[in-house]
Amino acid sequence: MAHLDIRGLVARYNNATVLDGIDLSIERGEIVSLIGPSGSGKSTLLRVISGLLPPRAGTVALAGETINYADRRSLRRSRDKLAIVFQQYNLFGNMNVLRNVMVAPVTIQKRDKKTVEAEACALLAKVGLADKLNAYPDELSGGQQQRVAIARALCLKPDILLLDEVTSALDPERVGEVLDTVKMLAADNMTLLIVSHEMGFVREVSHRVAFMADGKIQEMGPPAQIFGTPQQPRTQAFVSRILGH
Amino acid sequence: MHYVLHYGQIAPYLPYLMGGMAISLALSILSFIGGMVLGLFFAVIRNEGHPVAGRLVRIYVAFFTNTPQLVQIYVIYFGLPDFGILFSPFAAVLIGMTLNAAAYLTEILRAGLSTVHAQELDAAETLGMNRLQTLRHVTLPHLFKVAMPALTNQYILMTLGTSMAAIFGVEELTGRAFNINSTTFRSIEIFTTVAALYVVVTFIATILLALVGRWAFRARVPVL
Ligand SMILES: Nc1ncnc2c1ncn2[C@@H]1O[C@H](COP(=O)(O)OP(=O)(O)OP(=O)(O)O)[C@@H](O)[C@H]1O
Ligand SMILES: [Mg+2]
Repeated sequence: MAHLDIRGLVARYNNATVLDGIDLSIERGEIVSLIGPSGSGKSTLLRVISGLLPPRAGTVALAGETINYADRRSLRRSRDKLAIVFQQYNLFGNMNVLRNVMVAPVTIQKRDKKTVEAEACALLAKVGLADKLNAYPDELSGGQQQRVAIARALCLKPDILLLDEVTSALDPERVGEVLDTVKMLAADNMTLLIVSHEMGFVREVSHRVAFMADGKIQEMGPPAQIFGTPQQPRTQAFVSRILGH
Repeated sequence: MHYVLHYGQIAPYLPYLMGGMAISLALSILSFIGGMVLGLFFAVIRNEGHPVAGRLVRIYVAFFTNTPQLVQIYVIYFGLPDFGILFSPFAAVLIGMTLNAAAYLTEILRAGLSTVHAQELDAAETLGMNRLQTLRHVTLPHLFKVAMPALTNQYILMTLGTSMAAIFGVEELTGRAFNINSTTFRSIEIFTTVAALYVVVTFIATILLALVGRWAFRARVPVL
């Protein structure tokens, strides 16, 4: 059974159809990257999966259980298993680093505070922020904030992690730190759906790559296929442009 | 002619004035708290964009911010008894000030709410927070942080506004100053003393609120 199973997903903003029938099936422990031109609907797909934008049609199932986006309880259950890291980190400005990471496990999952704190500290150490526990988001660099956001998502112990261009707001020197963190997750056998413009990174970590355009997945396959021998002309055009041939 | 300042003559009245000050503070603090509770409620309604309730709040705010507070309290104190609703002077002023404060605070808090980052709300939602948890952990801390200077300002205005209670016979600071004046006729001494007391009180309030803002909400308000 697929870990994340998306069928015929349609989403609209006002009257513009942004997702036009997405089918995507991801196995447990698999790493899938979404690439595609700006405005093709990649972020929208992640927003729909995580319940920020209700789909107009289609289904999303987590480990065989279809999420009912109109039902709070179903949504809550899905959010226990699925976490998202946004492009803009979206940290809580009024909380320090440690609180940002701890707030959801403690107040929502009602887990023991001491245990969560120990886990949060371990996670923050893992992403190289052991000395920033008491710093506030506005006292951190972009790369540091992004790593806090990743630690925050991980502290929820999700089975599936959605990452939306976690490096695009960073300057080149910071990109490396975040990518190292993601590689660490990949090694931990987590199911990952990654939106990224870092083609080198995508090629290196992904099991499969999906090329999206016009609200549809145009082509999907192993990195060697998408970057080496793309089948669709649109994929070819995109890949050759982005790889600079 | 020579007028010899004689502050010594009002010195015996200082404890009496301090008692009046306590009543002034009670009025300003209670009406501020009441106004905050109502204002927060109204601001959230306005912010959620509820069509009917939102419009009612708008009418409320327009009414109370576009009429003199004195007239509002007159209606409560002298008008409502015609309908069998009687209040003591203190209660009438307190209710009037609270309703008035609620209107101004609604506007201050609503402006603050609109600056809460949509991204933080997205994060709260995807982390699984419900509305109440989001309000408590994300929205309110941000709101108080950004609104602290305006709230402080509003509280100071309200402290000074309590002097209006004297008109209705509430013996707060200004009311007691009138009383002393009518027996000693030491107007300059009395009213400069009272003015100084107001300055001291508002000064202390400003500092206290700035400290609260700093400690509780990390607000960047200069203490002085
Ligand atoms: N809140 C919104 N309201 C209306 N339209 C929106 C909104 N967000 C996105 N869109 C539209 O939906 C389309 C897809 O946007 P989306 O953000 O999913 O693209 P993307 O593939 O993530 O692009 P990028 O690579 O630039 O991040 C775009 O045409 C965009 O204009
Ligand atoms: Mg995007």
